[in-house]
Parts: sequence; C-alpha cells; structure tokens
Amino acid sequence: MARYFENGTGDLVSDALSGFARAHADLVRYDSANGYVTARHTAPGRRVGLLSGGGSGHEPLHAGYVGAGMLDAACPGRIFASPHNRQIFRASLAVAGPEGVLHIVKNYTGDRINFGIAAERLADAGITCSRVLVDDDLATESESIAAGRRGTGATVLLEKVLGAAADTGMGHGRLAELGTALAGRCRTLAAASAAHHSPATGEPAFVLPAGELEYGVGIHGERAARTRDQGQVGDLVEEMTGALLDAVRPGPEESVVVLVNGLGSVTALELYGIFGELGRVLDDRGVRLARQLVGDYVTALDMRGFSLTLMAADEATLNFYDAPVHTPALRW
Amino acid sequence: MTSNALDGARTREWAERFAASVYATEAELTALDQQAGDGDFGANLAAGVGAAALLLDRAADSAGPAEYLGAMATAFLDEVGGTSGPLFGLLFQALSRAAGAGSGLTADALATGAAQGLAAIRRVGDAAPGDKTLVDALAPAAAALRTAQDAPPATALAAAADGAWLGVRETASQAARMGRASYLGERATGVPDPGAVGVALFFASAAGTVRSLAPHLTDG
Repeated sequence: MARYFENGTGDLVSDALSGFARAHADLVRYDSANGYVTARHTAPGRRVGLLSGGGSGHEPLHAGYVGAGMLDAACPGRIFASPHNRQIFRASLAVAGPEGVLHIVKNYTGDRINFGIAAERLADAGITCSRVLVDDDLATESESIAAGRRGTGATVLLEKVLGAAADTGMGHGRLAELGTALAGRCRTLAAASAAHHSPATGEPAFVLPAGELEYGVGIHGERAARTRDQGQVGDLVEEMTGALLDAVRPGPEESVVVLVNGLGSVTALELYGIFGELGRVLDDRGVRLARQLVGDYVTALDMRGFSLTLMAADEATLNFYDAPVHTPALRW
Repeated sequence: MTSNALDGARTREWAERFAASVYATEAELTALDQQAGDGDFGANLAAGVGAAALLLDRAADSAGPAEYLGAMATAFLDEVGGTSGPLFGLLFQALSRAAGAGSGLTADALATGAAQGLAAIRRVGDAAPGDKTLVDALAPAAAALRTAQDAPPATALAAAADGAWLGVRETASQAARMGRASYLGERATGVPDPGAVGVALFFASAAGTVRSLAPHLTDG
C-alpha cells in the first residue's frame, strides 16, 4: 500500500492535476470542476480544436501534450479508466474552432464509447466532430480479436504531427484524413520484465519468474499473449524491430520516426541502450532513421518495460514533426 | 395540442412514471446485472432518474415535450457513470430533438426520435441486434413506433412497449457478444439483458402500467 507517495488512492489523479496545472501555469489551464486541461496559447490560424484523453497513469500522456503546436485540450480519466463523456463534451465545447473539433482516441472499448457519446452530443449541438482512432499495438493484431489493435505509443507522434498540421489552418476533413492515414503508418510493440503495482492494493498486476519477460504487453498491465526468456537486449530489440518493420513497410521515399518509450520504471541508461540496438537494426536493414524520441512518454504507472514505435514518414510528415512545439512534456 | 400528441404535462408524467418504475425494479435490475454484468446498472439508472427529477422540477410550467425530454437527456448524459446510462441519454436526446419546438409529441415524432436514438446508440457502441444489449429492445420498439406513426401516441407507445418486451425475452436466450456480459459467454444465457429491460420500462411507462406489460418482472 505504501508504495506510492499519495494521500489516498482516490486523490492521486486530482492532486497530480492540481500540481501539474500549477507547475505549468504558463502553458495550461485546469478546469477542475469539469475535469479537463486546456492550452493557454494556440496558433491563431488553427481552425479545428484538437482533443485527446483517456485513463490516468500514463503520464505525461495526456495533459503533458497540451500546449502550443499540439493538443488544445486533454481529458484525464481515473487511473486506467476512460474519461466521462461529460468531460469530453465540455472540453470540446471549450476548444472547438470554426471547423469544430477532432478527437484523437486510443482504441479501447471504454474510450471509444465515451468519446463516441460526446461526439453524438456535439453533433446535436451543431458542432462538427470526427475521430482519429489510434490502433498501433502490433501485439493485438489478430483475426480473433474483434476489438482490433490497442492504441498505445503512436498517440504521441500523431498528436505532434496533427498539432503542426492544425496550426497551418488545415481544414477538418483533411486533418482527419491525415490522422487516419498516419495511424495506419505506425506500429508499436512493448515488452516488460515486471508489472505495474496497483495503487489500490500495492500488488503487482502479475508476477513473472526471474529472467522472463512478457512480450506484447499493453499499457494497463494486461498480460501479453506470450512470455519469453529475457535474454540479451540486442536480440530482443532485433525481434521487435523486425516485426515492426514487416508491419510498417516504409516505402522507398520514406524514413522512420522512432519512439523508444519507458513504461514507468525503466532507466534512461537502459532506454538509450535499447535505442542504440534499434538504430543498429535499422542500419543493418538499410532503413533511414529520420527522428527519434527516447524517454518516458506513455507510461503504465511503474511498469518495468518499454515500447518501440515506428512511424513511416514522408517529407511532409517530417516537416510537421519538426515544427515548433511547447507543451509541458514536449518542446523544441 | 391535439389528441394526437402528448403535451408537456403528459411527457413529464411519462418521465415520472419511468422514474417510479426504475425505483420499483432497481433490485431486480441489479440482480440481472449481477448475473451478466458488473452489478451497477440498477443503481446507475436510479441515479439517472434521480438527477432527471431535479431538472424536471426546474423546468418552466409552460415547458413542452422537448424540454422535458432534454432534461432527461442532460441528466443521463452528465450525471450517470458507466456506459449504459449515458446511452439512454442519447435516446432521450434524439427524442427531444424530434419533439422539436412544438407543444405536442406525435407518434410520428416518437418514431423519428426512437430511430435516431437507436442509430446514435449503435454508432457509439457498435452493437447490432442479437448482441444481447439494449439495442435488442430499442430496435423492435422503434420499428413498432414507425408502423404506428399515424396512430394516437398511446396506441403507438403500447405497441413499442410490446415490441420492447418481446426483445427483452429474446435477450434471455442469447449469448452476449458486446459489453461485459460477453466475457461470460454461455454463462449469461438465460438471463435477460438489464439494459433492454430498462428500455422496455421506459416505453411501458408511457404506454400504461408497467406490471401488465412486464410479465417477466412479475413472474414469481
């Protein structure tokens, strides 16, 4: 129970959001009554409000990406639980542009339903709303999984690119098309050597024998489809990268943007080692590495694991990626 | 208003009768949901009608059907947790919009609202008839309303309630493919879907007494 530094399990999220808003008061505003975070500064030419959200416990997702050049609003739910449709509806009303609002939604049943209900309410209120579904998790690609692939790390890359595109004044339809096309150009795989601990019980979500890891974990402590020997990290990264490249298949005019993401309890020392191995695999296969992010961007509380995301990118995508961004968790 | 339309007062009476039927059956709804879901559906529906009561009280004396149905929509969409409760909110929102600015709710408007509510719920939840969800009661109710669109509202709503209860009975023989009950597979078979029961209660509350139209809730 005493693992997390907190006042009580019910307070973790609201306490964190209050602190977050104060720490980044120059960038964001937190509406605690309605449960959403909005950006203080957005490009004047933006015609479509960009909004995302989902369960808490994945910090810096989602509120960390609210700000100039990225999201206009984020709706955090309780830990690993979808936000309520009321939060999404009110936040959408607050940030809708002259061409409405675009929801960036990770593919989980609860998120889909709650964002979907909010979208129906927005339609009733006469506000244009559409959805980009992020479904990048290669581990959940199977004919037998009717719910489709889960949404994970690619969310950050999509939010960055769509934010820059929205800043150019891109219209609603083109923005939604771009997002859907990009989501199809991203895949992610994750592996973990130890589960996260539940804030409610202090217990790990699952227990692995020493020297083994879960291959294909999600970001909510779901167990993977298979367990494998941990082995050398180079072999592990080679297997993961190979599977990702087979799925993404960057074209001759494309390079890849890479996200090496810690899931909460993996050190920077390890993450850079993992990135080094990933770079070597790309070099060996003649794939151009265009940009990279290495660090904790989409976490799963204190899970000891990491995810690799590849996004196949053309020149236009890279230009959007390179555009300036200033949010609490991403800045260049 | 004409005899072919429900006025504001009758619409409000419908909402209040629905609330009474939810309170009267909350324990049965909870028991159903415990067998096939996570057990909070009765409480969520009761919270919705409770929140709606406060908003109904705030409506002006001259409020029409759209305003009362809109109050129900806001209550269920804003104040109810889980997913089934807010989906009821979408039905009420569509009915409110179909009622329009007029002072009377016709059978034709009811048919339009139910069809649009059904469409919205299906878009959001990806559920089809046969998946053992509230869609299995709402789809036949909407179809019955469309067939009876030229009848007086009471006749149309009685047909809708009959259709909804038949749908509820069908759900008892189905295995769930959507929602939490889907994880139970065949184990949920034999239990009607509580969301479908909720839809049937709503139409039955308008049509007449709940008990005469809710045989499975009075058996035993």
